Amino acid sequence: MVENQESTRDYAISTHDLDIYYGNFRAVKGVSLNFEPRKITAIIGPSGCGKSTVLRCFNRMNDFIPGARITGSVLFHGENIYDPKVDPVRIRQQIGMVFQRPNPFPKSIYDNIAWGLKVNGIRGKLDSLVEESLQQAALWDEVKDSLGKSALSLSGGQQQRLCIARALAVKPEIILMDEPCSALDPSATLKIEDLMRTLSVNYTIIIVTHNMQQAGRASDYTAFFSMAPDRAGVMVEYGETSQIFTNPRNKTTEDYISGRYG
Amino acid sequence: MARENLNLQIHLIQDELLVMGSMVEQATLQAVQALKNRDINAARLIYNNDRQINEKRYAVESAVLILIATQQPLAHDLRLLAAMLEISSELERMGDYAKGICKVVINLKDIELPIPVKEFELMAEKAVNMFHRALAAFVSEDFQTARAIPADDDQVDQLFIQAQHFIVHTMLEKPAILDHMNLLLWVAHNLERMADRVTNICERTYFIATGEFLELETEPKDIQGD
Repeated sequence: MVENQESTRDYAISTHDLDIYYGNFRAVKGVSLNFEPRKITAIIGPSGCGKSTVLRCFNRMNDFIPGARITGSVLFHGENIYDPKVDPVRIRQQIGMVFQRPNPFPKSIYDNIAWGLKVNGIRGKLDSLVEESLQQAALWDEVKDSLGKSALSLSGGQQQRLCIARALAVKPEIILMDEPCSALDPSATLKIEDLMRTLSVNYTIIIVTHNMQQAGRASDYTAFFSMAPDRAGVMVEYGETSQIFTNPRNKTTEDYISGRYG
Repeated sequence: MARENLNLQIHLIQDELLVMGSMVEQATLQAVQALKNRDINAARLIYNNDRQINEKRYAVESAVLILIATQQPLAHDLRLLAAMLEISSELERMGDYAKGICKVVINLKDIELPIPVKEFELMAEKAVNMFHRALAAFVSEDFQTARAIPADDDQVDQLFIQAQHFIVHTMLEKPAILDHMNLLLWVAHNLERMADRVTNICERTYFIATGEFLELETEPKDIQGD
């Protein structure tokens, strides 16, 4: 057992036989998956296959849903994040999330970043941390002269990069992205994808996307999920994106990526 | 600029093609030298090295297919990737020509026979020169240069005819070595075909840059003259 835990430490996140329930309904079953550190992993699959459920489970966002629970384990640095001793707030700081629609606070661009820092008890050097985060999110050049302007005055793509900057400000290790481009136009989408590529030098990124082409373009690894007859989401196939998109091992994966199913 | 990853991956494949190209150039020039020096060991080495050229071709093909599958390249990107598939296969075949010359060197063993060395050397030099310029035009997408290069094929064709005359003449004079002289015809043929394939590469460059297929081939001239 100890040996097993040691071996999982090389991964950003490891799940073992993960089942996720909403009340009595088993939404996801039997997911055992290792996420490579400082790589981009995409989770793809048809609607209702549990992609977002799995993603939210990685920083305990499902805690907010009454009746949600898991069995199995989600290991982060060898520690099960569902262990009762674990503080979910700390987990969410280390494993950040960017949502489907950009959700900036109705405050200034500056405050959107600084708030997150203050909430996490970070004092001093706020200016430089704000700049650093905006730089990393490739937004600094566009907003450096208007940091006091409302975040809501930014375009959708800029707002989403602001949300990425906000997630980066608290120095996470992993960034979870739940359909981060579904509300953006193609050019803003490609900008976010380039940004993901840059960020993956330092961060692990796990992205759920409906847009299979986006998974192809932007990820290093792909996990394909589907729905079992009992409507529970299952992982069908995982591999390097280049392999999944050119030579999937599983017929269902092949049908899905070639547009014949789902 | 957007799509940095796609741009980077395309450049990496282009670099691979250039490496493959210089392997082909080297193999061609060395094969003719091996024939001139009747150096069977050198010929064997070049012959075996062809495997590396073939492996590069598969690597390029696989990288292009992965980009097409994952990156949805369109317009210029798509033309470039499609052209790179084509060019990698041209290079692979050009490598085979060099290999074919080495096979002749090996099969000739130490049999004495007159070889039109000067013609072969000049053909190889001119074909390699055309090839080199064609690859440069491909990388810079200089379609005007690409369009001009195939005209130089005439010089190679001229040398081919000279070599062919010499070989056929020798065959008539010395029927005892007819079979071996026949092998030399293949050497001439391979060098001539190499220059033809340069034309195909130039056509691809024209296509990448303009989106149009343009036949740059001049008159077909082969051994039978049909």
